Amino acid sequence: MSHLSTHIRVVGALLVREMATRFGSKPGGYVWALLDPAAHILLMTMIFRAIARAPALGTSFALFFATGYIAFQFYQAMTSYLNSAVRANKALLSYPNVAPIDTIVARFVLQVCTTTLVAFIVLGTIVATMRVDTDLHWPAILEAIAMACLFGLGVAMINAVLFLKYPLYEQVFNIVNRPLFLISGVFFLPDAIPAPYRDLVLINPLVHVIMGFRKGFYPEYRAVGLDMTYLYGIAFLTLFAGMLVFTLSRKTLRNE
Amino acid sequence: MIRFEQATKYARTKGIKKPIIEDASLTLNRGKSVGLLGRNGAGKSTLLRLIAGAIKLDSGRIIRRGKISWPLGFAGSFQGSMSGEQNVRFVARIYGVDTEELIAFVEDFAELGPFYKAPVSTYSSGMKARLAFGLSMGVNFDYYLVDEITAVGDANFKKKCRAVFETKLKDSDVIMVSHSTKTIRDYCDCGVVLEKGRLIYYDDIGDAIRVHDKNMKGL
Repeated sequence: MSHLSTHIRVVGALLVREMATRFGSKPGGYVWALLDPAAHILLMTMIFRAIARAPALGTSFALFFATGYIAFQFYQAMTSYLNSAVRANKALLSYPNVAPIDTIVARFVLQVCTTTLVAFIVLGTIVATMRVDTDLHWPAILEAIAMACLFGLGVAMINAVLFLKYPLYEQVFNIVNRPLFLISGVFFLPDAIPAPYRDLVLINPLVHVIMGFRKGFYPEYRAVGLDMTYLYGIAFLTLFAGMLVFTLSRKTLRNE
Repeated sequence: MIRFEQATKYARTKGIKKPIIEDASLTLNRGKSVGLLGRNGAGKSTLLRLIAGAIKLDSGRIIRRGKISWPLGFAGSFQGSMSGEQNVRFVARIYGVDTEELIAFVEDFAELGPFYKAPVSTYSSGMKARLAFGLSMGVNFDYYLVDEITAVGDANFKKKCRAVFETKLKDSDVIMVSHSTKTIRDYCDCGVVLEKGRLIYYDDIGDAIRVHDKNMKGL
């Protein structure tokens, strides 16, 4: 029996297990994975329509927030779900066939599919119901999504190990990660921030994710400061670090 | 065949480091069932998990020829939020056996009734053990790793376990941990005594039990 076919079988079994149990206790089940972000965007759109006159880009509040929120979700939902991938499947790791990496791969696949589905439903609905036609620039959209997912995967792999080894780090990470939503440019355009502060905001790779993603929806958006090379660099570096830490700690991941 | 080559494993909990095995070398051949003896807390269960590959050695290696089961114990390898049936389905998938066949076999064997479709977290320890035993008997292995699980259920169930186990033992071997020397004597041909991080093999299970009893008295 080859190792690869075992991994594929295990990942498949874990996928089914995650689908069945993630929302298993609630009525509606998996539908909540789609409904939750959709409801969030709807609520935010309503709030901001009430307090601001026009969105920073284009004419649709809904499209502006949805593009920011969903691009951010490709990272945020990924890490928050993957951080606990190993821990949540601890009991199943007593089957020698199941490797810690399988739990990560299964959740990664499931989360990419889930957020993509959310993106199609939410953004599809918004674009279809808008009065103005929107030209989608797919390469920019896919590039931003890919980088957000890989960056999220890298962060989650590092976290999976460090959360186990240093519980204190988990607290610190959560404190730092929480305001990320506010400073990543979901609500504002980094282009509009004055010079010295803009450079600070641009350190955050997620700002580049959101700018790149929006470029795919707003052809007229210039995205001043967007640096895809920087984003690629950070994403792959993080992923590499994650894989390294994960591989070096396989004993800890198994024993815990 | 299972071979330990200079295998070393320490148990670490909250800064306490205790050897389970230190530089142990040992070969267990096919065709003989092994009883694993050792005092309480010596690390017998950990040793079974090492053999299964569910945890890793600190150094050295274990060479395994043949299909080895997961360690079958009370602690259970079940995901509490999934039902018994879902857990069975999961195992069928990861070991590549026919899903429906295994589900039907375990349903019939474990006698869980309607609880088969309830989350495992609602099970009593006896129910979990029945599920675990039925499940592993439904998958074919060359080695079954058994951790104190043969004495579950009522007399009727025990009889059933014994019958199915004995058919399995025609083609498979068992590596067994039990505090009941009678059970060990019934099932095993040879013995390994785990004492102070050393593994000592005895070709005759009677010898192993005698040494073990002496160890226990000399506390």
